[in-house]
Amino acid sequence: MISFRDVSVQVEVPVAGEPPKVKTLLSGVNLDLAERRVSIIGPNGSGKSTLLRLMNGLVEPASGQVLVEGVDTKKTKKVRKLVGFVFPDSLSQLLLSTPLDDVQLSLKAVIKDKNERRPKAMELLESRGLGHVAEQSIYDLSGGERQLAALTSILALEPKVVVADEPTTALDLKNRYIVNKVFDELEQQVIYATHDMEWAERADYTLVVSGGRIVASGNPADCVAFYKDLVFR
Amino acid sequence: MNQVFSIYVPGHSLMHRTPVWLKYVLMLGIMFSSIIVMQWWYSVLCLAVSMLLVLATGVGPRMGFKLSWGVYLMAGLLLAFQLFLGRPEIAVAVSVNIFAAIYASRMLTISTPESTLIDALVSGCRVLKPLGVNPETVGLAIGIMLKSIPMLMDTVGIMRQAAKARGMQSNYIMIMTPVVVRAVGYAQETGAALAARGLAE
Ligand SMILES: Nc1ncnc2c1ncn2[C@@H]1O[C@H](COP(=O)(O)OP(=O)(O)OP(=O)(O)O)[C@@H](O)[C@H]1O
Ligand SMILES: [Mg+2]
Repeated sequence: MISFRDVSVQVEVPVAGEPPKVKTLLSGVNLDLAERRVSIIGPNGSGKSTLLRLMNGLVEPASGQVLVEGVDTKKTKKVRKLVGFVFPDSLSQLLLSTPLDDVQLSLKAVIKDKNERRPKAMELLESRGLGHVAEQSIYDLSGGERQLAALTSILALEPKVVVADEPTTALDLKNRYIVNKVFDELEQQVIYATHDMEWAERADYTLVVSGGRIVASGNPADCVAFYKDLVFR
Repeated sequence: MNQVFSIYVPGHSLMHRTPVWLKYVLMLGIMFSSIIVMQWWYSVLCLAVSMLLVLATGVGPRMGFKLSWGVYLMAGLLLAFQLFLGRPEIAVAVSVNIFAAIYASRMLTISTPESTLIDALVSGCRVLKPLGVNPETVGLAIGIMLKSIPMLMDTVGIMRQAAKARGMQSNYIMIMTPVVVRAVGYAQETGAALAARGLAE
């Protein structure tokens, strides 16, 4: 369960020779998300990433409160154990040069014995069909393999909730299909932002964000129709 | 691009089987002793030894000895500088030392996976623990640095092409600003990725 209580997000934008201007990125957000699959859609710059980043404590609310499984996201250490965050760009997300190294890095948090981490990391990568590229440079992987490697690293931390910011935007049709499917089959609650309307419609619940506000929420098909109407009206 | 940086070549050669600490000792031994001795004949000896060590990794001379023009340029400049100072023997020693150092480090990186390199370094850092240095953090920082180099090089390449595509001469000064802007953005993203995984605390 993820709850937003009257949340707003503001940033200070510096202006030359004047006091900084306050810019509101998100306001008046009240939500209780209990559905297993929640999709978030909306135009570029509408606030989707900001909304997702709130769920992992990467962005702090200016007012209000965000709770994940009852934990206030101000307690970043606790909340980051609960929430795995998938970035749009897997090359920035992967911190080390090979999938095997990167998954091992994640495993440090859950496996104390160093010698156990390597076989476990290999096992996790193999279970995602990445065994053959485990020791390759991340720069030599396909976009799909990279995103799956990043996801494997995140899941190695055994999060309760997976939050994904446009995880398939950079992918071609086939890789998008593969990665979407992996997300659809996760046992965790998954909250994802996407520009892929078909995938958005497969969720159990959808949010439409526009201009820093939630302008519609509920049934995915209705929300997608609402969003299309908003854009092409 | 990747061939330059992710240089580990899997294999079972003599060097692959040599323990990593011994390879570090060999590399540092060649680097430091050649600087301390600073005699042309000793530098040539070091170069010969380090080239043999590269060959002992089994990659063959073409890949093992290939160098970018920047290395020759740097060695050439140092040579010219020392000659200008009227020290021909040191000129030879200094420029040969550069090649010896590069080949010595190449022996290490070709025959050792990155994670092993870093683990060894982390173990080495243990002696610094009383000084408040966290070896794990050092290892992670080095790992992220190694991973980031190709990314930043790639950014330079993209920016040069973007400049060319607009019909501008691609010179390094001009693409500097967008490259720095991108690098800062990338560093912020890396910070967020670290934080999101709970590694920033
Ligand atoms: N740190 C910041 N400082 C100033 N403005 C910001 C900052 N972070 C985000 N913004 C602005 O807030 C708005 C919402 O950004 P956000 O990244 O949440 O949008 P988004 O819906 O994810 O867009 P996209 O579909 O392009 O990813 C944008 O106008 C963006 O420029
Ligand atoms: Mg976004």
